[in-house]
Amino acid sequence: MNPFPEIAVHRLGNGLLVLAAEIHSLPILSHQIHFAAGSRYERPGITGISHLFEHLMFKGTRRVKPEEFARIIQAHGGTLNAFTTTDNTSYYENLPADKLELAMDLEADRLANLQLTSETLEPEREVVRSERKLRSVNSPFGLLIEQLSALAYEQHPYRWPVIGWDADLKTLTLDDCREYYRTYYAPNNAVLVVVGDVVSEEVFRLAEKYYGPIPAQPAPRLPITPEKPQRGEKRAVYKKVSQVSAFFAAFHIPGITHPDLLPLQILCTVLSSGRSSTFFQKFEKPGKAVEVQAEMGSPPFFFMDPGLLQIYAVASPGFPLEKLEREIWEEVEDLRRGLLPAETLVKARKQVRSAFLQSLQTHFFKGLLAGLYQVRAGDYRRLYRVLDRYESVTAEEVRQAAQKYLRPENRTIVSLQPVSQEEHDELGEIE
Amino acid sequence: MTLKAVPPAFTLPPIFTAVRNGMKIYVAPRAGLPLVSLHLIFPYGAEADPPGKAGMADLMAEMLTLGTGRHTAAQIASEVDGLGASLSAHAGWDATVLHLQGLKEDLERLLGLLREMIAEPSFPEEEFAQLQQRRVAALAQQKDESQIVAGERFEEILFRGTPYDHPVYGTLKTVPLISRDEVQEFHRRRSLPEGTFWVVAGNVDPEDCFRRLEANFSVLTPEPLPVIPVNPVPPQGIRVFIIDRPDLTQSQIRFGHLGISPSHPDFCAFEVMNYILGGGGFSSRLMQRIRVELGLTYGIRSSLDLRRQTGPFAVATFTPTATTFGCVEESLSILKSFQAQGASKDEKEEAGQFLRGSYPLKFETLSQVAQRILQTEIYGLGTEFLRDYPERIAAVGEADILHCAQRHLRPEDLVLVIVGRAEAFRREFERLGPVEVSK
Repeated sequence: MNPFPEIAVHRLGNGLLVLAAEIHSLPILSHQIHFAAGSRYERPGITGISHLFEHLMFKGTRRVKPEEFARIIQAHGGTLNAFTTTDNTSYYENLPADKLELAMDLEADRLANLQLTSETLEPEREVVRSERKLRSVNSPFGLLIEQLSALAYEQHPYRWPVIGWDADLKTLTLDDCREYYRTYYAPNNAVLVVVGDVVSEEVFRLAEKYYGPIPAQPAPRLPITPEKPQRGEKRAVYKKVSQVSAFFAAFHIPGITHPDLLPLQILCTVLSSGRSSTFFQKFEKPGKAVEVQAEMGSPPFFFMDPGLLQIYAVASPGFPLEKLEREIWEEVEDLRRGLLPAETLVKARKQVRSAFLQSLQTHFFKGLLAGLYQVRAGDYRRLYRVLDRYESVTAEEVRQAAQKYLRPENRTIVSLQPVSQEEHDELGEIE
Repeated sequence: MTLKAVPPAFTLPPIFTAVRNGMKIYVAPRAGLPLVSLHLIFPYGAEADPPGKAGMADLMAEMLTLGTGRHTAAQIASEVDGLGASLSAHAGWDATVLHLQGLKEDLERLLGLLREMIAEPSFPEEEFAQLQQRRVAALAQQKDESQIVAGERFEEILFRGTPYDHPVYGTLKTVPLISRDEVQEFHRRRSLPEGTFWVVAGNVDPEDCFRRLEANFSVLTPEPLPVIPVNPVPPQGIRVFIIDRPDLTQSQIRFGHLGISPSHPDFCAFEVMNYILGGGGFSSRLMQRIRVELGLTYGIRSSLDLRRQTGPFAVATFTPTATTFGCVEESLSILKSFQAQGASKDEKEEAGQFLRGSYPLKFETLSQVAQRILQTEIYGLGTEFLRDYPERIAAVGEADILHCAQRHLRPEDLVLVIVGRAEAFRREFERLGPVEVSK
């Protein structure tokens, strides 16, 4: 059985690629548009503009009042949202099946006719700064993770957070936003995906009707500086008020199209997925750590350019962080030295296969797979190879990936050192 | 741009039911992906925790997965992961759920695992000690999460003196006081009691499911469990509780009071009301005013948490330290004006259209389908509630919403919890009512 339906493809004259998958199990659909726009495309001084812009896309057009987009979709029984990552900005509406035209009409309208004014920018700037406080400044590990990327990358735009630096959020201008809109919100810089109880020909007809008249724009110039190879471990300490000590480590790994990624995902699965995983059995179960995880994302959420595999650990109160870290690296060394036992490999393969099948339950996720593989890897058809590739990963490939990427020289570590309120205050205001 | 719409007709996916060996069984078959989702539900949860032993039911649930007469915890974990399955065992309010989700090809082994955990749990001493240690460490870490701290404190005050007055996973004070023997005894007295039921969703044949469950499981404790009532508290005005966290730059805010149960006749009117007030995202009055017009927060919402008895109705938001009082004051005034005037015809229609139109989206995954069925059984609604829900929402009128707001909203009598820099806003809050500051 093929768990993913066939995708019909159509490219409009203005360059917009349209992908349609017919699934008639429930009378619903997911309409999504994915732009090649994200923090990867920013530069110092305007960090965070991709995400701020995602907010501004809800601020109305000549026909639709600010935030009315959401009201209309919801009043037709739909749910909607948007998200910004390093590599894409995506907008979606999940709706009753007979509302396809409504979604197309509204989405195409804001792609062509967004109203950008200082009256809409200013309150939204504060909303985003509040979001940054929630996600980074006041979250237990948010600023630590920001520092990890900033230290691991010296040149590539992945070094700043998707939400941006607060100083840039404060000073971004309306002109910056207008230029960003003109450059990145173009039909030739996007992929439209519709999955659900629809007919492909009707999807293409409506796409022509609503998106067809929007003119293409010159392709964005992409002066993205590649990261140079790391030649030695980097370390930093972050001090804040905290109940626990912790460390976050990152290893540079290749981008989404590289054949080593799925062996690395298997490796992360062996290390920390499920109660039989190495990290749970060795560290969490005996009470040395509250949590130890190895993470690098899963299809289609792999980084477009060389990304990071993170290993992080939160020490249990009373257990020394240095000892925990040392023991974790010993486990990683074992993976670099020896081959995985056959049964461990079979188990990990089944875990990733099962998780992939579970995620295919929603039209929304099926749309994300197609749209993000297209935007990040240049070809949505990669999604069809995921299950077969999981099955073909060998123990030798896992070991080679561990040897190649999980080297101490390729590692960056930031540790959280808890301090008193007084010391916290002496270190200055955090933002 | 029109807001008028008629939601398309929706047919509830088929649900088959049977009673076998004293247990009710629901099966929701779903062709397509080779997946199966099994839920075994005991009709008690954290409200049954003995006084001073908050966390008991939840610890018991997890202990069922940590060793049987035949297999160690490590062997069970290895079997679950080897099947590519996910296993969880947790107490909620009013119910404790064992959930095992995996591939259809492994149905027999998945059921075998559940049978063993239910029939032969061994409560190993070492596993219990480690579990307790893990829980204590996690609870300590949780103190850094201001959102969780705010939510816990709010419910603790709101439900003081009732069985809902503690977090389901217990507290740093209570978890260390629970012994392995107490957990085992707690389990023994409630092992597969009357009211235990199953929800199976996925790529399965209902008759085959009924047969398999009948062959492996049976109710053991045929007496119904006692129910401890949650009595409404007399009005006490607005009470403010600040948890002082000088290191925070943004305050976490929760305020509200007791709501109603899902079996209350006003429940559907409450759903519509809450969508308009603060449950409907950008369609809601709270979001429009506090985020869109004033830019005071990234998010604000109101919600009614479901419990068999009365659940909490709460507004949750966060805002920079300097705007804490203004954000609360403005939100309260929205509640007051809603209580006085109710909703407009357009608001009512939009809310009804959303709740009815988006209803099919709530049946997309196996977990969603199972969750819907599970709730109707726990709250005693019957699956006809799922069938009739769109019609019942459609029948809610503006007068029903106004009546609901006047009867169930109490902006003058609520618990308000803030986690943030107390010295920056304490004085302002004294205008609302008594203020208590704690660490």
